[in-house]
Amino acid sequence: MVEITDVVCSLCGCVCDDIVVEVEDNKVTKVKKGACSVGKSKLMGHGRIESPAIRENGTLKNCSYDEAIKKAAEILAAARRPLLYGWSSTVCEADKVGVELAEEIGAVIDNTASVCHGPSVLAIQDVGLPSCTLGEVKNRADLVIYWGANPAAAHANHMKRYSYISKGYWTEEGKKNKKLIVVDVRKTATAKMADVFLQMEQGKDYLVFSALRAMLLGYEDVVPEEVGGVSKKDLLETVRLMKEAKFGMIFFGMGVTHTRARHNNVVNAIQTTRAAHTHTKFSIMPMRGHYNVAGINQVCTWETGYPFAVDLSRGYAWYNPGEISATDLLVRRECDAALIIASDPGAHFPGESIKHLSKIPVIQIDPFPNPTTEFADVLIPAAISGVEAEGNVYRMDNIPIRLRKLVDTEYVADEEIMKRILEEVRAIKEKEGE
Amino acid sequence: MAEGELLIRNGVVYDPINGVNGEKKDISIRDGKVVEEVMNPKVIDAEGRVVMPGGVDIHSHIAGAKVNVGRLFRPEDGRKGREAKTKVCRAQSGYSVPNTFATGYRYAKMGYTFVMEAAMPPLAARHTHEEMVDIPILDNAAMPLIDNNWMTMEYVKSGDTDLLAAYIAWMIKATKGYGVKVVNPGGTEAWAWGKNCDINDAVPYFDVTPAEIIKGLAEATEKFEMPHSIHVHGNMLGHPGNFETTLATYDLVKGIKPYRDRPAMHATHTQFHSYGGTRWGDFESKAGAIADYVNKNEHLSIDIGSIILGDTTTMTADGPMEYSLYQITGRKWTNHDVELETGSGITPFLYSGKSPVNTVQWAIGQELALLIKDPWKLALTTDHPNAGPFIGYPIIISMLMSKKRREESAEDMHSVIYDRAELPSIDREYDLNEIAIITRGMAAKTLGLHEHGKGHLGVGADGDVAIYDISPEERDAGKIQKAFLNTKYTIKGGEVVVKDGEVVATPAGRTIFVTPECDDKLTEEMMVKLKDKFDHYYSVTFNNYPVQDAYLPNPYEIKAPWRS
Amino acid sequence: MQTIKLKLKEEITSGNAKIPIEADSLTPDKIFGKSEAEIKAVKVWWGNREENTGDLFDMSVEGEAASVEEVKIVMEGDLSRVKHIGDGMKAGEIEANGDVDMHCGAMMQGGRVTVKGNADCWAGREMHGGELIIEGDAGDNLCAMYRGEMTGMTGGKVTVGGNAGECVGQYMAGGEILIKGNTNILTGLNMKGGKITIEGDAIMPGADMTGGEITVKGKVLDMIPSFKSDGTESIEGVEYKKYLGDLAMTEKKAKGVLYVR
Repeated sequence: MVEITDVVCSLCGCVCDDIVVEVEDNKVTKVKKGACSVGKSKLMGHGRIESPAIRENGTLKNCSYDEAIKKAAEILAAARRPLLYGWSSTVCEADKVGVELAEEIGAVIDNTASVCHGPSVLAIQDVGLPSCTLGEVKNRADLVIYWGANPAAAHANHMKRYSYISKGYWTEEGKKNKKLIVVDVRKTATAKMADVFLQMEQGKDYLVFSALRAMLLGYEDVVPEEVGGVSKKDLLETVRLMKEAKFGMIFFGMGVTHTRARHNNVVNAIQTTRAAHTHTKFSIMPMRGHYNVAGINQVCTWETGYPFAVDLSRGYAWYNPGEISATDLLVRRECDAALIIASDPGAHFPGESIKHLSKIPVIQIDPFPNPTTEFADVLIPAAISGVEAEGNVYRMDNIPIRLRKLVDTEYVADEEIMKRILEEVRAIKEKEGE
Repeated sequence: MAEGELLIRNGVVYDPINGVNGEKKDISIRDGKVVEEVMNPKVIDAEGRVVMPGGVDIHSHIAGAKVNVGRLFRPEDGRKGREAKTKVCRAQSGYSVPNTFATGYRYAKMGYTFVMEAAMPPLAARHTHEEMVDIPILDNAAMPLIDNNWMTMEYVKSGDTDLLAAYIAWMIKATKGYGVKVVNPGGTEAWAWGKNCDINDAVPYFDVTPAEIIKGLAEATEKFEMPHSIHVHGNMLGHPGNFETTLATYDLVKGIKPYRDRPAMHATHTQFHSYGGTRWGDFESKAGAIADYVNKNEHLSIDIGSIILGDTTTMTADGPMEYSLYQITGRKWTNHDVELETGSGITPFLYSGKSPVNTVQWAIGQELALLIKDPWKLALTTDHPNAGPFIGYPIIISMLMSKKRREESAEDMHSVIYDRAELPSIDREYDLNEIAIITRGMAAKTLGLHEHGKGHLGVGADGDVAIYDISPEERDAGKIQKAFLNTKYTIKGGEVVVKDGEVVATPAGRTIFVTPECDDKLTEEMMVKLKDKFDHYYSVTFNNYPVQDAYLPNPYEIKAPWRS
Repeated sequence: MQTIKLKLKEEITSGNAKIPIEADSLTPDKIFGKSEAEIKAVKVWWGNREENTGDLFDMSVEGEAASVEEVKIVMEGDLSRVKHIGDGMKAGEIEANGDVDMHCGAMMQGGRVTVKGNADCWAGREMHGGELIIEGDAGDNLCAMYRGEMTGMTGGKVTVGGNAGECVGQYMAGGEILIKGNTNILTGLNMKGGKITIEGDAIMPGADMTGGEITVKGKVLDMIPSFKSDGTESIEGVEYKKYLGDLAMTEKKAKGVLYVR
């Protein structure tokens, strides 16, 4: 039995890196400390795709990695508008090969930000993001605001490692000298812990942000008595707490990005932060979902110039979410082939897009089966990043951390699968050129 | 390095490190290195054209966290520089924040073969390395920020120079960095509370001044045989009247003795630190005062940080300065404070010839180059992309070489240039030898890279050569600018990578890093304090912090022993 | 007058995947002076391959043009997957008979584009001049800016016969937009100049305005709370409530005017 420390979790955007596991007979047998229950479950492993396979007449037939990779390459090389989607639950090394492949075949490369914090990225492209690393929040923040986010459920270690309950240099007493404000449409588990809970009407985030901004800038007179279901009195109290803080931090989630004004809600949240910053130090951060969605955004950006929804069909990058995002392409039935890696559109995409996805050739690369597996035409099982394969990931605050390899495996890592597909595609194209 | 032999004949060579000043000379290369002679080479006939060692850029923001912030939040900059992929090149995008592939190709096309990434936030060092690996052709290195770090400030306060040296050594090793970078010392830690520091202000809670930090770091750095001195972006960057802070900053290292013949401080993008006046309304150039100081002193070197007109993206670890810039323009602004270490701010900025302030700024960078008598004391930079994109270097070269061009350009600028700047009254013109010094020779020497094959064409040097499509007699500024933008040939490690202004090969570059060697006992003592930081204040573990070998597929190590 | 008819071949969009064609190389100024054979050889992107116009469209040419202004392109067939119609156009006319795909009339500088149907998102994006008529509905981001830019439409005239989507005229700096139906959320977001008139209803109009004028003749749902009431004003004999905004941009910058019936 071997004990491994400083293990890095490959589940959510918290990327906790102080986990201790026990490994015996090439299996993770125990997670001793550091991981939340969901992270633990991933590290211990569960049902996975056992073998590469190719679907023939509706049934999956097991085959070798070589055969599956060859078939995948054939499909992608022939496509006129292929989509390479996912990337958020694998390592940057694999992401890079994905971008290279997209360029090689003139594909659209997109990632889960499209259905998650894509709106936050759009907002950042409009107004920027005044932010910091998570350790800054841990050491300095005396006011923490969760807006449209419920970390108690979705990012279980967040408050304890980084924000409200955590202890740091100027926050030695944990939550004792801190204030927690939660803004949401219903009283979530996180809201129950809050000093101030603003219950807001669905879809009214934009209006509430505008009101807070006006108040922070000194124009409270123009603001009506009630905005979005929140009383002016409560808004003024919130503004007071914001002004009095030494270091305020706003974390926001899908409640902001996925309701009525979407990315413009985020723009308004950021502008509210900037208005607060005229009084005191204030920062804001999106609660990234997958452990390496920030990573594919980074890789895609430094390699193509853009973070997601990148169309390389004309040989150069064209970026336009709303036109090029995977869901847009699929709902409009634009793609004629798709590679789905390290993600699960089957579970998250609108029905119309899944309908089309199930009609075109789909290659799935993943360690685990999911709804997308039901209709994938080529299945390539991958090694589990962070357990069976190492590599670089970016935490929700964009800090890069290296996942460790804990056990050996027969399964092939994403990076190598991608490299072999790319090689095969190049061989096919060279032959065509002859 | 390429195998085989290459002979460049009939070129007029400018190799200032070896005293070669416009000599008709053959350059022989075998297996990637310059040799005395070759037997059966591939021959390139330079046909009387200007030949220089590959360019060495001492300060540019090309890889890492804030550079990528710039790219990510400026899709509108992305679509400016877009070029479709070719058989050889990946797709390119961006103008002031080019993607990594465009960065490599465009520098190589200008004849550069080495670029120093100016500032690496240590906690995000892996990011800098990931991007550097994706920059084709160029050899590179990066300087970690070690001045706003809590460990640094605590050791400066307690006066423990040896322990500070141990910390510096650990940091440079952990980040696979090149040397000590200093940016707005103390001020960026103050910014984590929304404040800032001038050179003698005490940093909140840490109770040290930026002056003490700079002096402490200079002393600690010189405990080792470090190839490069501390590299300093001083306090009050960009503020009218800051030249006094600048001169005070330079004085701090007067008594410090570096281990070899190099300055004790490299002061970077000096244009931004040469401001007179008391506010924007009476803003004027103090390049004269700065140049005067540099002329009279030997303990410092500078790079100019000269303005290129147009829209660009500013990005520095000077968080408070970036915030004030955003307050002036109201444009998008990203801030990223990094726990226990540093911070950064990124915001777009337009330098316009119609603006009186921008006009004076534009003049200052060139004034510094023209008023400093010894070109070995300065390097040509634009602090890319802060004062402008690196693709503008040929414009500056043509300005320095042609009084006529400067006069013509001044006519298109705001008339304030005749009152608040000195440029119109300066007649000096640079010759090619001086250009070679400020674009390769000086940088290589100041970085210590001339001892590792860069910046010269003596026997043993790397086979990095730039052949510019002009004759040495060329005086036309337009032709000079054009020639320095796209080489006739760029050769990297003996391989032709650019021909007739097109990239023809994209070999991977190497990452050069320094390993300072520190006494075990000192290191052990320092570790106690450092581990405490990781146990209580960092958000990552001690063991997960250092940059793993996997991030440097092509490493080149330089050892820096403890000075005896 | 020269009329060039381009009818998209049925097989292009009859397959399982409906892959868009990008028609930016088929503007009057780009094909002016070309012979029929030359027009058929103009390259057009269809997915990741370039094809000849003649292989994608059935073409007929009538008459001659002495200048670009005399060129009229009539597009027919299933245009719902033809993007960038009239993109960057300088002069002449394009008539599209049917619903058109995204970026119709984007970056137009002159001439006229008429859509006899609906237009998808980003119609009139970054328009500088000319006229764009959409007889049906317009999608989101009509006449808006490109991601990251601070300026959208700067000139020209756009008329939408039906409804329009979200963020109409975002970062508008000049020009005129008339929507005969309703608009979705955030009409005139970040507006700094120009004029938008909505004959129907609007939701959260004028957010972050610093200049320009928006007139809503129908109802406003969810007024932005940082607007300041400035009495009433009579326009063409009709009384409107007048608001100044958006104060969330600071009072100094809030030079936008919103008229609500």
